[in-house]
Amino acid sequence: MKKLIYLMAIVSLSFSINASAFSNQDVQRGAFGDDVVELQARLQYISFYHGAIDGKFGYGTYWALREFQEKYGLPVDGIAGKATKDKLANNSDFDKAYVDKQIKSGNRFTYYGGMPLDQQVKNGGGSNSTSSMQLPVKYSEQDLQLMANAVYGEARGEAYEGQVAVAAVILNRLESPEFPDTISEIIFQPLAFTAVADGQIWLEPNERAKQAVLDAINGWDPSENALYYFNPVTATSKWIWSRPQIKQIGEHIFCL
Amino acid sequence: MKNFSYLLGLFVVILAFVAYDLYDKNKQLERSVHASYTNDLSTATEKLSLLHRSVSQSLLFQDERALTTELDNIWRLSSELRKSVSNLPLQDEVQTQWMRYLGRIGNTAKMTADSGDFNNWQSTMEPVSANLNAFAEEWNVATVSFYENNGDFNKWSANKAMEIKDSPFLGASKQLKSYNETDFPLTASESDFEKKRDLEHLSDQPITKKQAIEKFKKYFPEISDAAITVTKSRDDAPYPFYHIQFIRGTRVGYADITEKGGHLLSFLMERPVAKSALSHEEILDTAKKFMKKVGYEDVVISETRENHEAWHLVFTRVYGEDNALVYPDSIQLKIAKDNAEILGISAMEYVQEEKIPQQAALPINWETFFADNVKVEEVKNIYTADNTFTLRKCYEVIARIDNNFQDTFRIVIDAETHRVVKNEKLK
Repeated sequence: MKKLIYLMAIVSLSFSINASAFSNQDVQRGAFGDDVVELQARLQYISFYHGAIDGKFGYGTYWALREFQEKYGLPVDGIAGKATKDKLANNSDFDKAYVDKQIKSGNRFTYYGGMPLDQQVKNGGGSNSTSSMQLPVKYSEQDLQLMANAVYGEARGEAYEGQVAVAAVILNRLESPEFPDTISEIIFQPLAFTAVADGQIWLEPNERAKQAVLDAINGWDPSENALYYFNPVTATSKWIWSRPQIKQIGEHIFCL
Repeated sequence: MKNFSYLLGLFVVILAFVAYDLYDKNKQLERSVHASYTNDLSTATEKLSLLHRSVSQSLLFQDERALTTELDNIWRLSSELRKSVSNLPLQDEVQTQWMRYLGRIGNTAKMTADSGDFNNWQSTMEPVSANLNAFAEEWNVATVSFYENNGDFNKWSANKAMEIKDSPFLGASKQLKSYNETDFPLTASESDFEKKRDLEHLSDQPITKKQAIEKFKKYFPEISDAAITVTKSRDDAPYPFYHIQFIRGTRVGYADITEKGGHLLSFLMERPVAKSALSHEEILDTAKKFMKKVGYEDVVISETRENHEAWHLVFTRVYGEDNALVYPDSIQLKIAKDNAEILGISAMEYVQEEKIPQQAALPINWETFFADNVKVEEVKNIYTADNTFTLRKCYEVIARIDNNFQDTFRIVIDAETHRVVKNEKLK
């Protein structure tokens, strides 16, 4: 009896590891989330995918999926539909608890089959899916984080539109020949932003500030091409008043 | 009483110690920032001298190889000097003009190296060489006080706060402004780019505030009963527009609509988004229907990105019989994951609308163009602006290196000259 219970426990554990948590939606390039995490983990388990398991369906995942589809006689379209997901679930394992834990802890890890899991983890250095976002190709997670810090420090009391506009000003400077060539250099130019001077840039930005930066990075510019902004109540520089003004959003006047 | 005096004495000693510690830390910090600024100032002065020397030396050569080495030096030095200048607490007037001037020198060097137009280099850089010489003298005069060996941090903080007319950099500022105008006047394509950005081509009749609100309601009927506030852009704005702010329950946002013709420039709405998510297909369907409804019929989806709350989609205008994608004429759309509601649209680039030039497209043999282990996966005809702001017809190639990580690249190649315009590693 004891042996039977033991056997059942092993079977049930192995079933729970292999059990597919895929949703019933088709997953394709551009997608983001838990379905993509499982897709990447399963593809890595059977050595088709060698990139980071980060829930972002980019080209690395796309080619790996196509290769899997080709090898297993499925239509090669790079889309994880029901047939592909079923085939993948039948030919790989997925330890959701292990994978979720590593992502939440921000660890660097892999999920290759036939290798002890504890040998596949390095603490730190990975992306945390709760804060991670999909960005246009020319921007990095570090850019987003730094800009979110600047937006939160400069404009957390403003409406969402005002926060997106502050992020857009940073990006407009990036395109302008009159400013440095990286986001970090723009933000840390001496006395360019009040939040850097008074230390508020080091406050932990909230989700709203990150969303505002994400929208600016994706093309929104409520400032209408502004390069500067200032608070008319507190601004002391005569020069800033000489700039051509575009519009006012909340407490800030945006100008060229 | 004795105990009280003893305690008071102890308190005063502790207070004095804490005050001294604070003072000492502040001084340490000031000295550290002072050292950093002085380092950047010294580096800038040194690089300015090297840049001037390199520009002068470049005027010696007609030989391509000799000149190319010097052009590389100029591009690198101008870039390093820009970095040092941007780290100094200078007045905005000085800093922006200097950054622009250095940027123009560096870009001209890079473009000359690419194009091989060495005659143009000689004629453009002769006055630049003379001006850099004059500017180096002005710079030395302006910065002499910052080298005085007194470790006084206050002169740096005072300089940034000072108005330019009272600043030692007044002469430098005037010189740089003049050099920018005389040495690097705007090219025709740069001038066209600025006109396009400022929507100078719009020739439609102006609309009224009331008509702007009607346009807004037509675009977004779901929030037509929102509380609306409309303001006009400032008088100095390059193009006049109506700024419509709205609130409807938890939905808060804005839309900017041009005064000329009532074109929607951008719209963005904030609201809580539920965790449930519609499928990719449902999102794409809704997006396409919306674009058709509001009259953007000459566009196709060129990019999709999902995030926690919304999808960001890019629609791009297609042109010609080969349906080439005109990337500068794109529209960004933001759609809620929970119910596919339109949360944002940015149509500024589409409103700017490019004029498509006539240009030859010569075929390329990809097998000889790329290395042996490169797989060409996709080739599209596109239009994009090159680094001189000129719209060019190009081939957009998605290629990957056949390795474990399947490194994938987007390479944009001019369809006529076969020059590589862009090369990006895709995620």
